[in-house]
Amino acid sequence: METKLTIGIADMKMAKGSGMLITYALGSCIGICLYDPLIKLAAMIHIMLPLNMEAGRQNTMKYADTGIRETLKQMEAKGASRARIVAKIAGGAKMFEVNGGSLGNIGQRNIDSVHLNLKKEGIRLLKEDVGGSVARTLLFDPSNGMACVRCYGRPELII
Amino acid sequence: MRIKNYNELNSLELDTLREVGSIGTGNAATALSALIGEEVRIELPEVRIMEYNEAIEWIGGPEEITAGVLVKMSGQIDGIMLSVQQLDFVNLILNSMLGKTVEDYMGLHEMECSALIEVGNIMISTFINALSGLADIKVDLTVPAFTVDMQGAIMAVPMAAYGGQSDYIMTIGGNFVHDGKAVPCRLLLSPDIRSLNTLLRKLGVSSGD
Repeated sequence: METKLTIGIADMKMAKGSGMLITYALGSCIGICLYDPLIKLAAMIHIMLPLNMEAGRQNTMKYADTGIRETLKQMEAKGASRARIVAKIAGGAKMFEVNGGSLGNIGQRNIDSVHLNLKKEGIRLLKEDVGGSVARTLLFDPSNGMACVRCYGRPELII
Repeated sequence: MRIKNYNELNSLELDTLREVGSIGTGNAATALSALIGEEVRIELPEVRIMEYNEAIEWIGGPEEITAGVLVKMSGQIDGIMLSVQQLDFVNLILNSMLGKTVEDYMGLHEMECSALIEVGNIMISTFINALSGLADIKVDLTVPAFTVDMQGAIMAVPMAAYGGQSDYIMTIGGNFVHDGKAVPCRLLLSPDIRSLNTLLRKLGVSSGD
């Protein structure tokens, strides 16, 4: 059986060449797969919020901006090249229709921030499955760069 | 003393919050009993302060499908209250209100969902009413929102709402007992840090500043 690496909330893990990266139940959170196809190095991040405004910035993987930046740094340290790294993302849903307040659009703000930060770092976004109102489980296969999105009441989607 | 994070609460403050949970959940159980015409009691309510991933394991794993009713509180205290309704609870409600049960969540149509929203809303409102009477605070509630989806994503809603303040989530709430069996319907209150301070001060266990 191949090894499965589970990425929790505000977490990041890397795998090279084999195994499976998986993160469960992305609601307004976003799962970001970063992949260097030449050396088959993959990283998956599960971010929760768009911008890191915390003093001390301890929990970098909780946020889109510091999460992406820190992960790219760690991938480069393992021999990945920024010019080759591509991204696939899923999540950013709106789980509840609540009128008023900032609660409803955390998902959309996460999507915008991930787009912006990938662009800023010069990373090409290959495919995405974002928005809507469904929770998603995201799987990524480092051997071939394929991502799969699993939802309740919807067939699996390959991205 | 004003706390800056949930894990700074002392034992007196935790006991006070547990009492709030007990009174709130107790009132909600009474309301539920009246609705379905059968006795519903509560298990010992809990106050939990959990790291995100710990909270999701505690509720029963991320991918498990569940129904959730969410109400947002504002006014003197801000927070989110969730009624997480697992299948046994759903069937208890549907059986007594509509005289039917479902095999799984796919069997829920408009009528069934309305019943679940209403029951969730009544329990949440009853809990908050008890809380606001106890602490003498005014709380406004939004119209209830409803979804059926992976419970990890439902639990992540209050986490994301206060994620900029804390790496932990605090929940006050408990389960119900019907006909001698525990019925998994967690009623969970998650206040933000500022509101938690207000609440403790109003309840007289924290001097504030």
